[in-house]
Amino acid sequence: MGELRLLLVDDEVEFLEPMKARLERRGLACATATSGDDALRLLGSERFDCAVVDVKMPGMDGLELLRRMRRTWPETAVVLLTGHASVELGVQGMELGAFEYLLKPVELDDLLDTVRRAAAGARRD
Amino acid sequence: MTRPAQNPYRRLRGQMFLVLLAFGLLPLIGMGIAGFVANRAAFETRTRNVLEAMVKNRRATVELFLEQTLRQLELAAAAQPAAKLAEPATLESLFAEMRRDHGAIIDLGLIGADGRHIAYIGPYKLADLDYSEEPWFQQVMVVGRYESDIFLGFRRFPHMVMAVKKREAGADYILRATIDTDLLSELVREGGLESGADVFILNRAGEYQTRYSDEHRLMERADLAAIPLHSGVRVTEASAGRREYVATAWLRGDAWVLVARQGVPGFVALIRNAHPGVIGLFVLGLVAIPLISQFIARHRMRQIRGLETERAALYESVAQTQKMAAIGRLAAGVAHEINNPLAIIQAQVGVLSDILAEGAVSADCAEFEDRIAKIDAQVERARKVTHRLLGFSRRVGPELEPVDVAAALNETVSFVEKEIEASRVHVFRDFAAEVPLIRSNLSQMQQVFLNLINNALDALHEGGEVRLMVRPAEGGVEVKVEDNGPGIGERDLTRIFEPFFSTKAGKGQHSGLGLAICQEIMRNLGGRISVESSAARGTAFTLWFPMETDNA
Repeated sequence: MGELRLLLVDDEVEFLEPMKARLERRGLACATATSGDDALRLLGSERFDCAVVDVKMPGMDGLELLRRMRRTWPETAVVLLTGHASVELGVQGMELGAFEYLLKPVELDDLLDTVRRAAAGARRD
Repeated sequence: MTRPAQNPYRRLRGQMFLVLLAFGLLPLIGMGIAGFVANRAAFETRTRNVLEAMVKNRRATVELFLEQTLRQLELAAAAQPAAKLAEPATLESLFAEMRRDHGAIIDLGLIGADGRHIAYIGPYKLADLDYSEEPWFQQVMVVGRYESDIFLGFRRFPHMVMAVKKREAGADYILRATIDTDLLSELVREGGLESGADVFILNRAGEYQTRYSDEHRLMERADLAAIPLHSGVRVTEASAGRREYVATAWLRGDAWVLVARQGVPGFVALIRNAHPGVIGLFVLGLVAIPLISQFIARHRMRQIRGLETERAALYESVAQTQKMAAIGRLAAGVAHEINNPLAIIQAQVGVLSDILAEGAVSADCAEFEDRIAKIDAQVERARKVTHRLLGFSRRVGPELEPVDVAAALNETVSFVEKEIEASRVHVFRDFAAEVPLIRSNLSQMQQVFLNLINNALDALHEGGEVRLMVRPAEGGVEVKVEDNGPGIGERDLTRIFEPFFSTKAGKGQHSGLGLAICQEIMRNLGGRISVESSAARGTAFTLWFPMETDNA
C-alpha cells in the first residue's frame, strides 16, 4: 500500500519536531505545519492520507481547518488532537467529519493505530 | 460601611408609620373639628334664643310684679281716709292684706307732709325719722308716685321703696311700702338657669338690683360694660376675659336693665357636653389608629426585610455559581496548559527512548543534552501553571489580606491569556509606579476584574484594544478597564447593573448577572463601580477600592 503520508498541524514547533522524528522512524512520511494557513498551503501542493490537527490554535483553529479540508480535500482523513478536555469540542469535531478525536498527551502506538485506520478508511472511499 | 445595616429599615419603618398615622388620624381629627364647629354653632344659636326668651319673660314678670304692688298701694291709699290710715290697726290690716297677696312688702308707713311718720308697721325703728330732705320724698310730693332703686337709706340695708301720695282736705299724706329685694331676686331667677349663666337687674349706674348667686352683692357695680339704652331685647356677644352672650332689656321706663349672660363654653366644656358614644369612638380612634399603623408598618417592614434577605441570598448563591463556573473554566484552561507541555515532554522522551532503542547512545551526546534541557523547560512550564491554579483555589475564602492591586490584575489577565491570544486583542497596561497595598479580598477583586475583562473581550473584534489602568486615588486605589469597542447605548447603560440584563447576543450563555455581581462585590468590598461609554471611544469601567475594607 506504499508509504503513508501524514500532515501534522500544531502551533507549537516544540511538539511538531519530536513527533515528526518519532513517526518518521516508524516509516511514515511526515510533513508539519504551524498554522491552519500553513497547512492549507501544503495541502495545495501535496497529497496526504491523513492529517493530525490541533484544535486550539491562534488564527484559524483546528475546527475551521477541518471544515475547509472536508470541503476541498475530502480524501485526506482528519484526526483531531487537543489538550483541551472538552466533550462538547469532540462532538463538534466528529459532526464536522473528523475521523477521531484524541486527547494530548496520547500514546504513540494509539496515535499510529488511529492514523493507519483513518488512512485506510480514506483510501477505501 | 460601619453603620449598622438595620438603620435604613428602622427609618423606613418610621416613615411608613408616620404616613399611615397621618392618613388615619387626619380624617378623624378633621371630623372631630367639623363636629366641634357644628356643635358650637348649634349651641350658640340655641343660647341666643334661650337668653332672648328668658329676658323677655323675666322682664314681663318683674314689671307686672312692680306694677301690681304699686297699684295695690294706690288702691289702699285711695280706699281709706287719712285719719283711718293713721290708726295702727287699719294700717296693720292693710299691711297684712298686702303681704297675703304678694308677700313682697316688708313694712308699710304713712308719712305726713312734714316728712315724719304718722304711722308705721314693720320691723325697723323708723318712726322718728325725718324724710323731708330725702330725694324720693320730694319726688313723690311733686309727681304723686315713686319707685326707688335699691338703696341703703336710714336703715343701712339695701332696700327698695314705693310710695304714693294721697291728697285729702288740702293736706298731703304719703303711703310708703318697702319691697322685699329677696323676692325681687327670686322673681328674676325664677325657674333656674343653665350652668354658666347669670340673670340679674342693674340700675342705670350699672349696680346690682337683684342678686343671683352669692357673688352678687346688691348695689355693687357689675363687671359689665355700660349698657346703652335700647328698646326690646338685644343679644350681644362680649369677650371680656371669656366669650359670652349678653341679652339685655330695659324696664321700668329705662330705670333698670334686665341682664342675662351665658358664657360660650370652651373646647373642654363642649367635649364634656358631647354624646359619650361619639367621644368614645373618637378616643378609640386616637388609640387604635397609632396601634394599627405601627402594626402594619412592622408587618410590612418584616416582609420587605425578608425579601431583601432573600435577594441577598440569591445574589450570594449566584455569585457562588459564577465563581464555580469561573473556576471550572479556569480548570479547563489549566488542563490545556498542562496537557500541551506534557504532550511535548512525552514526545521528547519518546524520541530519547527511540534513540536508546536503536543503540546509538554514544553517537550524539549533544542531542541527549539538548532534549533533556527541553524536557526541563516543559516541566518548569507545567509547574508554573499548576502553581497558578493552586494559588487561585486557595484564595476562594472570604479572608482579607494585603493586596497588590496591579499584581492581582496582572494575574487575572494571565487566566484569560489564551482567550486574549485567540481573539487577537491587544492589552495595554498603564500602571502607576507607586500603588499602595490595600486590605481587601483578592479572589472577589479578581472576579470583578475577570468579569470586566471578559466583557471587554466579548465587545471587541480582532485587533481591538483593552487598556488597564491602576493608580492611587482619594483614600484608595482606582482601576480602569477600557475597551475601544462599539460602546453601550444610552438606554442600556442605565440598566447594565440590573440582574438578568444582557446586551450580549448568544445562545443563552450570558446570564446577565456579571455586572450585577460586580456591583454587589464592590459594595461588599466597600468600593464603587461606575461606567462611561460612547460609540466613539468605547466603554470604560472605573473601580475604586478603599484602603481598608470593613467587612467582606
